[in-house]
Amino acid sequence: MIRAINFMMLVVVLAPVVVVMWMSLTPTSMFVLPFTQFSLRWYREALSYPGFVDAFVLSAELALLAALITLVLCFLAVYGIARYRPAGAAALRGFFTAPILVSAVVFGIAMLQFVNRIGIYNQFVGLLLAHVVLVVPFAIRSLEATVRAVPEELEWAAMILGRSQLSTILRVTLPLCARGLVTAFLFCFLLSFSEVTTTIFMTGPGLQTLPVRIYTYMSDRIDPTVAAVSALVVLVSIVVLVLLNLLGGLRRLTSQ
Amino acid sequence: MRVSSARAPWLFAGPLIAIMALGFVWPLLQALTNSLHPNTPQGIDAAQWTLGNYERLADPFYGGILLRTLRISIAVTAITGVLAYPVALFLSRLSPRAQSLLILAYVSPWLVNTVVKALGWTLLLRTNGVVNTILSQLDIVSAPLKLMINETGVIIALIPGHFMFVLLPLWAAVSSLDPALGWAAGTLGARPSAVFWRVILPITLPAFVAGLVINFIMNMTAFAIPMFLGGQRNLVASMLAYQVNLISLDWPLGGALAVTLLALTLVLVWAGQRAATLLAAGRGLRP
Repeated sequence: MIRAINFMMLVVVLAPVVVVMWMSLTPTSMFVLPFTQFSLRWYREALSYPGFVDAFVLSAELALLAALITLVLCFLAVYGIARYRPAGAAALRGFFTAPILVSAVVFGIAMLQFVNRIGIYNQFVGLLLAHVVLVVPFAIRSLEATVRAVPEELEWAAMILGRSQLSTILRVTLPLCARGLVTAFLFCFLLSFSEVTTTIFMTGPGLQTLPVRIYTYMSDRIDPTVAAVSALVVLVSIVVLVLLNLLGGLRRLTSQ
Repeated sequence: MRVSSARAPWLFAGPLIAIMALGFVWPLLQALTNSLHPNTPQGIDAAQWTLGNYERLADPFYGGILLRTLRISIAVTAITGVLAYPVALFLSRLSPRAQSLLILAYVSPWLVNTVVKALGWTLLLRTNGVVNTILSQLDIVSAPLKLMINETGVIIALIPGHFMFVLLPLWAAVSSLDPALGWAAGTLGARPSAVFWRVILPITLPAFVAGLVINFIMNMTAFAIPMFLGGQRNLVASMLAYQVNLISLDWPLGGALAVTLLALTLVLVWAGQRAATLLAAGRGLRP
């Protein structure tokens, strides 16, 4: 019984992704069972459709930049809190992780009204700001554990031996945090790359990330081309997930 | 030399504080102030202050949408709650390797974007979709079932999408239980069902409740899945927010909607944490 429930749940969890992959490989535009022939024709179709390629480039740039900026800002903040333990540490941490409590729809509405107010509607910088804020909580949580695991004595030793604090951070702390930094980076990249809801609320037709482009395409029609693009997006997610798992970061990131 | 310790933490955290103030606090305050101004054909009238936008939300049309959103969210959370314990208990008995593999599978929907999941569910549930094709080829149904463009479709697709928010905390709580607890209860004569109801459930309840609250909030504000699986005839709060903000461009009303949703979320989180604390405190008194 308990095994059957688990099996059924796994099927339900994985079914939508599997069926998208499957549809993207059918030779005909109609969906037929049983499934015997494979074809990559819809992938060619998808890649020759400029809207998708442009959106992919935009999404990749956005996710890379957002993850990088978030990592730098959060590393500095976490380092400051962990090493100096200021009086407001708990409040600061609460502030940095607060975006988790604000649902993507609410944040999307707020962002839309904000970017219009300050005149950056439909500009890359607005999207970048939103994506940074969205991934900050996850970066903070993951980097906290990383920075705390670095023995403070090593930093003291380096400074007593005459290194400046900046040089200690760059040559001692950062190398010791490398693994945690890569994990946090991949996680932030993936979250930004698959973000849909907030982005839909705050972008116009001129600036569509890949998930938003897929969304608008699907509102119009559903065909194997959109399944092929979606399958490629899933592939990116799977690659990043496997990397994360190899680094051992997934369990730590998700169990909090 | 180390930077002097009074200024230092603010020096390090400063850039992030600035970005969060600009990209998080300001947008939310912007929506709040917009919601307190009347909307006019010329745009937002910033000179006037009003609560009228919140009064408009009390209209039966919006009330109906809120009710539907609540109905769907409660159904999804309830079904998730029933399914989460069997899955968590099953997982906790597997080898660590198998556990991490299955957890990866359960977490994966969260890291695949929701539009792709909505596409998958549409392909599965539509009239000539996979489920109906299989059912009719096996002669189980004569006419295709109507599985989407209704609340059923939204509920089916939301359950796996947000399942992990209950599963992960529960799995962590169940795996950290001392196996000796179960043996002790067993030697004292408790049957397996009694071990579950009297031992496992009370101890893991706080984690379970916390997970359910997050799950409920995610259901309340899901966007792409209700959009494609429910359609325009089954408007939920997030779709209404989209229409108001991006189609009617009525930002004061949209702001009021955002503030209301946010307030609802925060109250729920608070209540969930409160309940979890009370449950955690009360379990020592259980007979």
